[in-house]
Amino acid sequence: MGRAWIGGKPAALERALAEAAGLLAASRCPLIAGLGTDVAGARAAIGLADRIGGVIDHMNSDALLRDLAVLREARMMVTTPNEARLRADTLLLVGPSLEKEAPDLSRWLGLGSSGKGDAATRRSLVRLCPGGAATIPGEKTVECDRDRLPAVLAALRARLAGRPVGKTRIPAKTIDEIATLLKAARFGVAVWSAVDLDALAIEMLCGIVADLNMETRFTAFAIPPGDNAIGVLQACGWMTGFPMRTCFGRGQPEHDPWRFDGARMIAAGEADCVVWISAYRAAAPRWTDGPPVIALTTGEAMPGRGPAVQIEVGRPGVDHDGVEQCPALGTLVAVAAARRSETTSVADAIGGIMAAMPGAQVAT
Amino acid sequence: MKTRIAGGRVIDPAHGRDGIGDIWISDGRIIAAPPPGTTADATHDADGMIVMAGAIDIHSHIAGWNVNTARLLLPELHRAAAKRPAATPLSNAGWSTFATGCLYAQMGFTTVVEPAVSPHYALHAHLELADIPIIDKATLAVLGNDDFLLGLMRKRESASVIEDYVAWTLDATRSLGIKVVNAGGSLALKANVRQFSFDDVVPQYDVTSREIVKTLQRATHGLGVPHPLHVHCNNLGMAGSDATALTTIAAAEGLPLHLAHLQFYGYGQEGAHGFSSAAPRLAEAVNGAKSVTIDVGQVMFGQTVTISLDTLRQFNARRHARPRKWVILEDDSNGAGIVPYDYRASDFYNAVQWAVGLELFLLIDDPWRVFFTTDHPNGAPFTTYPEIFALLMDRDLRARQIAALPPDAMAVTTLPAITREYSLTEIATMTRAAPARLLGLADRGHLGAGAIGDVAVYADDRDRARMFRSAALVFKDGELVVRDGAVTGYRWGRALAVRPERDRAIDRRMTRYYEDRYGLSDTFLKVPDHAVGRPEPFELVRCAR
Repeated sequence: MGRAWIGGKPAALERALAEAAGLLAASRCPLIAGLGTDVAGARAAIGLADRIGGVIDHMNSDALLRDLAVLREARMMVTTPNEARLRADTLLLVGPSLEKEAPDLSRWLGLGSSGKGDAATRRSLVRLCPGGAATIPGEKTVECDRDRLPAVLAALRARLAGRPVGKTRIPAKTIDEIATLLKAARFGVAVWSAVDLDALAIEMLCGIVADLNMETRFTAFAIPPGDNAIGVLQACGWMTGFPMRTCFGRGQPEHDPWRFDGARMIAAGEADCVVWISAYRAAAPRWTDGPPVIALTTGEAMPGRGPAVQIEVGRPGVDHDGVEQCPALGTLVAVAAARRSETTSVADAIGGIMAAMPGAQVAT
Repeated sequence: MKTRIAGGRVIDPAHGRDGIGDIWISDGRIIAAPPPGTTADATHDADGMIVMAGAIDIHSHIAGWNVNTARLLLPELHRAAAKRPAATPLSNAGWSTFATGCLYAQMGFTTVVEPAVSPHYALHAHLELADIPIIDKATLAVLGNDDFLLGLMRKRESASVIEDYVAWTLDATRSLGIKVVNAGGSLALKANVRQFSFDDVVPQYDVTSREIVKTLQRATHGLGVPHPLHVHCNNLGMAGSDATALTTIAAAEGLPLHLAHLQFYGYGQEGAHGFSSAAPRLAEAVNGAKSVTIDVGQVMFGQTVTISLDTLRQFNARRHARPRKWVILEDDSNGAGIVPYDYRASDFYNAVQWAVGLELFLLIDDPWRVFFTTDHPNGAPFTTYPEIFALLMDRDLRARQIAALPPDAMAVTTLPAITREYSLTEIATMTRAAPARLLGLADRGHLGAGAIGDVAVYADDRDRARMFRSAALVFKDGELVVRDGAVTGYRWGRALAVRPERDRAIDRRMTRYYEDRYGLSDTFLKVPDHAVGRPEPFELVRCAR
């Protein structure tokens, strides 16, 4: 059990579930967004969307879909942070937000580990556009503005192919030095975050990796967006065939990264009821105005006008057992509750809402 | 609750049965015919119908990271084709776990093995399997490109330690057996080796691919795991790969060994294109090696996607991707590669591949040792099975299709000259009785008393493809789940797994290994019941030891 609020006032959980069920039953275009939850919560949310003809979106879909756009329109060599730590003799770190998006990056990659003669200390490290990130001893750093990254990557790819390039703001000699370093890799790994790069820049970077594999070995990984975006993506993939930003309104899942962008749907006045899920932290939607919100979040009642209904949910791996993506390994893992509590899980809250809705149902 | 399937032609090769009769099911199990006059709670008239046990697919990529990544790679491939009644959850998703279970059940399949699960991805695979309705499932855990095993071999550790490690892996990943994929090849690729054969040495580990296969074969056998080591050979898909397959068959040395999707190794180097069918050579070798079983991996024409843990092969195949996009994963476990492909009837090479698969089916004389697969979706989607049954059962149908294919392709195969036609008994052997025996599932694949009540009933039809595409009735655990080709009963199956005995010293060693190498607890790759999220998600299969 957990706390619940209706219109900002404390309410019994049963009443809150019934109120949520009523709002959803009356909705003609419900949006299930946020979706920061474990696999069980994602499964339940997708089952709810299937039932009510809603749209599912994740709070980090923007970054996630930039990576996916490259995957499904071009190609990708991928590895895991852990394998990069164990095997990479060359690292190409791209963008200023890596450590912000992955606070454990240094540990994942064994960066700056003290010298025991292990691979980490003999590595070539190249860093493009580090921004304010702390530099690592021995790394070759190329400073540039983030919005110049696509041009720098393009120049680098051209030089790797032995083609001439026009002027960038980076000296040609620097670009050539980096190209030489990358070509000398025996097993290199490129790292980026889609927070920093648009899809075309990511495609360029993945193209560099692909080109390097003509002669040597190189692979890559993107920092996974937070709030278990990849875990939710996996569940969404096997349940619907598609990533998030998928709609069930016409009886079968339809995926459209623009049409089913939750923020756009709110701005355009298309969605008339929102289920907002944030079980890892008490994140609020980016929009402030809009249709009634049923919030399934951790912690206290949201301030301000607040959601129409709010149900406190437990944190996966803290309040209850869960399954989520482990970024270091790139796979789904079971996490046990660290401080087990009676706070309801997202899956159970959605189960409760669905049970309170009229009509028969077949459980997913 | 007694169910009677009355008056059908019962084909049950495990008991040498082919005749008109009844099948009775009670409490989910097949029972001996009760005394005359016993009334059933439900009677299904099977007059004019064929009654078989539920079919078993031993090799079909239906779940896990690789399959899911293929979905995400190819959104254009699986838009829901047509709206179906929304009687079941996610019933209109084009390529989902939910559709997978329904489509298999509609064809009379009740047990399917996902044959390629890297241990680190076992939980993911089981989560997907748990969302595949109706049918039962199982996984094969993949070893042979993992640092721990090759480390043991490099240090020449004892066979019993290796057996303990294999047993630990089976238990942690809740698998039914062990597979090896291009043994050592994924590790070789990481060291920039682009071609890797059976007697090549894995860089840094000082062991050959042959030694890995033999080590795992002996360990699997020694543990009493019913399913023999499942081998995906080196050099898949290459002209001249028949030599690799022949070498691997010879290496079985009288111990059980299963070779997966042999069709992809059935290529000689004769003819104007340097690409020809080697199926007769391979079939002769299989016929002579009684401890060896194979499945075919039949190619059918059309768009598909190849999903494989053979990263070396997929890396080399990436430039042939149709459409031109692909994913190669190199991870801590085994790696994987997803490469879409479009098999074209007008393409010389693809036409030869189609013929090679059929030749293997028709030239291997023992239906107990040749298994029915398309290596779904690598050769073709599993939904093409009915068309393949029809091709095997009808030489005239084959002749008509051969006539439409490039003559120079057919000229480098023996298919046009083969007259054999499979009987229904042989089909039932290959898809029911033999797979159950191969996997050690004593209560499946047959219709004797005590068997699980998995029964498929087909309306006898000269059009065998139509007959096998939509079963008239399918029972799973005695429950009616399909009627007239449509899903009518929705339920959740189990995943079958073995748990051979082991010395628990290996558990402590694995804990230390994962802490040292990954800085992580080894619990991450274990698959606890609670994480799967369904009641009784697993069923234990007995080992011989």
